Amino acid sequence: MLSRLRHLQVETEGRYATDEELKFILDYVHSFRLRRDTYIRLQAAESDIVKEVQERLQAKHPELLRSGTNDLTTKWQRDTQRVLKLTALALLLDDATTLREVFLYWFQTIMKAFKAQTSCDVTYLTMQEVIKKRFTITEASLICPLLELNRTLLGCP
Amino acid sequence: MVATGHRLKTKYPKKHNHYGFRDFFQFDPQVGTITDWMDNRNVLASEDFIIGLVAGLEEEVGDASAAIMYTIGCEWGLKDAACFSQWFEAEFDRSIRQTNLMFLLETWWWPFTSQGWGRWEVDMGDRKQGFMFINLFDSAVARTLGDVGKPVCYIYAGLFAGFFTELVRKRLSCIEIQCYSMGETYCKFLLGGQERIDAAAFWLNEGATAGDIERRLQAGDQP
Repeated sequence: MLSRLRHLQVETEGRYATDEELKFILDYVHSFRLRRDTYIRLQAAESDIVKEVQERLQAKHPELLRSGTNDLTTKWQRDTQRVLKLTALALLLDDATTLREVFLYWFQTIMKAFKAQTSCDVTYLTMQEVIKKRFTITEASLICPLLELNRTLLGCP
Repeated sequence: MVATGHRLKTKYPKKHNHYGFRDFFQFDPQVGTITDWMDNRNVLASEDFIIGLVAGLEEEVGDASAAIMYTIGCEWGLKDAACFSQWFEAEFDRSIRQTNLMFLLETWWWPFTSQGWGRWEVDMGDRKQGFMFINLFDSAVARTLGDVGKPVCYIYAGLFAGFFTELVRKRLSCIEIQCYSMGETYCKFLLGGQERIDAAAFWLNEGATAGDIERRLQAGDQP
């Protein structure tokens, strides 16, 4: 939303915006209540979501939470919570572009540095399953595309 | 002029994802300054500035301009390594020598990415043999000069040589073996001891491609 507003500001230099160009603002206004409610639900369920994803990983891919003798669980939890908070903000503001620019491009290089791409791939795929179980179809349809974006960028080899 | 600290950094000193344009730079229209996250003063330079710098230097010193740009880069890299060591320690509460090497290198390069020097990719596959490759995408110099049929990113080669020399505390050199300005899609640098860099320079002069040089080095060939 904020990215598109900035884009609109640039595109309409010296003229008035057309109805078509303003449509995204109306769409946002209409979707705001749902976005806000979903944001609040995500906030309340954050620790439960992370816990459930962790349990599923532990059951199916325990190797992703270890590196040799090192237990990576605490680090994984910290990273996952951070990504989830920023994902929730992108959902509230309808702004995947900002999520990519201020976070994902940077975090992608950090995940590569730690060779954590497979872990990210599985984590954000599993998280989509957990979200679909815990949230309504409409709410999940807002969250899952952002989680898929996280998976695509952070999980790429 | 009173220098003011980066406001967002002052508020959130441990925010690590601060490389977006609006987070990294602080524009202060009152005093006409641009400060980055590390509290360094920045200036915006146009492509005309880069062309002027390269062409002006060539006019003044001829072929020696490449060596001068390399030396400038080298001094910059040496100084930047010291500066980086300080801010890394302040941000991550650990020494640069007690951290994952690839994480360290990505963290070093991110401010350059934010400033428009391009993205990079480090290939450490041959590190045990004493050399490594760096791929650079969107070099500010090469992108500006366009296809001129020869490598032009001497300042980057110097920057890598200077920084890595300070990092590993061993004299390293660097040469650009493939450049966007030679019609390639990205620039490629070889970093290593002087002997290997001299060998690569010889092969490059003989018309070898980056791939040829890579294969010869891996096979342990010498000119």
